Amino acid sequence: MTATVPPADRPSGVGRAAPPRPTARAWARENLFNNRHNSALTVLLGAGLAMLAAYGARFLFVTGQWAPVRTNLTLLMMGTFPRAEQWRVVVQVYLLCAAAGLVWGGLTASSRDRAADADVPFSRARLRDGVRRWWPLFVLLAVLLGMTRTWLPLAFVASALAGGVVARRAMEALPEAGRRAGWFGAGVCALAGWQVVSGTGGIAWWWGSALVAAALVRITGNVRSEARWQPAARLALIAGAVAVVWAVYGRLDFGGVGWDDWSGFQLNLVAAAASIVLAFPVGLAAAIGRRSQLPAVRWLSVGYIELIRGVPLITLLFMGDLFLGFFLPTEDPLSKVTRAIAVMTLFTGAYLAEIVRGGLQAVPRGQVEAAWAVGLSAPRVLGLIVLPQALRAVIPALVGQFINLFKDSTLLSIIALTEILRIRESIHGQREFLVTGIAETLVFVAFAFWALAFTMSRESQRLERRLGVGER
Amino acid sequence: MTTVTADSDDRPIVTLEGVDKFFGSFCALRDIHLSVAVGEVVVVLGPSGSGKSTLIRCINRLERHDRGRITVDGIELSNDVRAVRQVRRLTGMVFQQFNLFPHLTVLDNITLAPRQVRRMPRHEAEELAMGLLERVKIPEQARKYPGQLSGGQQQRVAIARSLATEPKVMMFDEPTSALDPEMIKEVLDVMQELAGTGMTMICVTHEMGFAREVAGRVVFMDEGEIVEVGTPHHFFTNPTEPRTRRFLEQIL
Ligand SMILES: Nc1ncnc2c1ncn2[C@@H]1O[C@H](COP(=O)(O)OP(=O)(O)OP(=O)(O)O)[C@@H](O)[C@H]1O
Ligand SMILES: [Mg+2]
Repeated sequence: MTATVPPADRPSGVGRAAPPRPTARAWARENLFNNRHNSALTVLLGAGLAMLAAYGARFLFVTGQWAPVRTNLTLLMMGTFPRAEQWRVVVQVYLLCAAAGLVWGGLTASSRDRAADADVPFSRARLRDGVRRWWPLFVLLAVLLGMTRTWLPLAFVASALAGGVVARRAMEALPEAGRRAGWFGAGVCALAGWQVVSGTGGIAWWWGSALVAAALVRITGNVRSEARWQPAARLALIAGAVAVVWAVYGRLDFGGVGWDDWSGFQLNLVAAAASIVLAFPVGLAAAIGRRSQLPAVRWLSVGYIELIRGVPLITLLFMGDLFLGFFLPTEDPLSKVTRAIAVMTLFTGAYLAEIVRGGLQAVPRGQVEAAWAVGLSAPRVLGLIVLPQALRAVIPALVGQFINLFKDSTLLSIIALTEILRIRESIHGQREFLVTGIAETLVFVAFAFWALAFTMSRESQRLERRLGVGER
Repeated sequence: MTTVTADSDDRPIVTLEGVDKFFGSFCALRDIHLSVAVGEVVVVLGPSGSGKSTLIRCINRLERHDRGRITVDGIELSNDVRAVRQVRRLTGMVFQQFNLFPHLTVLDNITLAPRQVRRMPRHEAEELAMGLLERVKIPEQARKYPGQLSGGQQQRVAIARSLATEPKVMMFDEPTSALDPEMIKEVLDVMQELAGTGMTMICVTHEMGFAREVAGRVVFMDEGEIVEVGTPHHFFTNPTEPRTRRFLEQIL
């Protein structure tokens, strides 16, 4: 053989190729053992870490008494939720998985389109990537499943996840026009998932009508016609559809379980999710109001934001619990959970407002001027030019606030709501667990929060990068 | 004061009569009289801080004037929001810093106004946009984001975006000042072609070559006042006012 092969240690292509990845050995020599001090430090810290890991493993697998968690797993997750109604939660999980799958598929599909638009190669998440993203959740699931005694939960979780994956793939395969129907389907699934547990009573029809109205606005918006009567006809069509939904909903009665019976980790999740969804528009409105030309609106926004931000959440929760109901002119006072969610919404809204305001300030004045100069109206300048840029700039801070809210949902225990921390306390009131596994139950609760919060924070970083496709 | 009207048989499309503009107590524009005829190309020159930007920003009411009358195509600018939006539709503006919308593709930047303001359906708006990109010679960049383009390309997209509302008057505020020398020409070429199509243009620029070749009239401003107005030939060879002479001595 003649020497046609280039020397291995010199990349071919006149220095064009990326430098080769260092081997593990070379990397360690470079970074961990590059001089005497560093080597000593590495050895010391390595020993310390190994010891910690050994202790941790011993606690987890040998000495840890996980019986209280194992016995009370359902209690921790669902609390005092009526067991006869448990099927509702099962159906809800299926529906929400399908909704999440559709939303996810829709997001990947549209970011794939964006990337194609921008001539940027789009790489679909591969298995390794998927594992790296989702391992905290996988571990949480594995822990939960490992603690159950029958195969039923495994079958349930597996089929729900499979349903989500199928929904996602289906959404990705849809052509752009059909995706609108997919989004609507996601809305229906989410709504149905919500209603199957909470029932159809009260103001439930409102959500359904809002969904139908939103879909109709989009669909009719695409019908081209310059005719004068068009806006009126659209309005009439939407009003008619809302009336039909309202009438149908009024006749349906699925029963359901009121918020006050929700407890355990489910209550943490529901209260946090509801507050997040509600706090976002509140914060947006307050942030925009703070910059309004109208003094009354500005003062109102500033007053709300500064008043709320100056008071600790615990105090607000107590206040809401004690006298939020008195201010409302209703016969029956709001339920305890509703009041708590209202307080958490108002609290988070004030912080979101300040975050969003920062984002609004980051949008250069030239953007607004350019939008005015082409004749856009003020609401469109805000909605199409300013807000998209402002919100994108503050995604990490927004998600951080959401994570805080999620963790703060444990504070509900101090106004006597049976969220997961309080359930955990009650477990140690059971005779056999009076002193057993006190640390273990706490570790379990901490881990459940961590797995979700950590995943949320990492997904927000990904989202931020994704949305920045093709940007400066 | 110099009062300038275009030749009597030319219909004026932009008129300013006795316009004053204050920032606090600082007088940025002082008794401005100017009228621009259909199809005319007016180049505004003047030292930094003389009020050139303020002048054209008053014409589409990015700044509000304090005294006098401004009309565009017969519509007077006032506090009436609808009149203001109508004037903004009739005028296009190109900025020194491009001000493209970074979160939208080039195509979406251009179709935004036609779709939102003129309620044009998407495919029609995209056809229009592609035609405009053809005119500014970058149709192949349609799907990119502004951040992926060179400065010269961005400014040409900005011109296409302004043209998408089919304005009757185009205003340029130092469109080449933020560009590297090799990109200036590509933008000036597009502007010159635009002038050739009979577009009414008001340009603030420091490109004397452009002023000489393309301008129908040159307006010289200093300290918020219009000092002198004339043809490029008159302005560059035989200016009357001493302030104009001093300015020309400094830049030529
Ligand atoms: N928003 C503002 N607030 C206060 N003063 C302003 C404002 N905008 C402009 N000015 C002042 O008005 C005067 C005219 O400004 P203008 O921007 O019109 O000048 P210009 O002729 O465009 O200058 P340049 O060539 O540097 O762009 C300057 O003295 C400037 O400081
Ligand atoms: Mg200027």
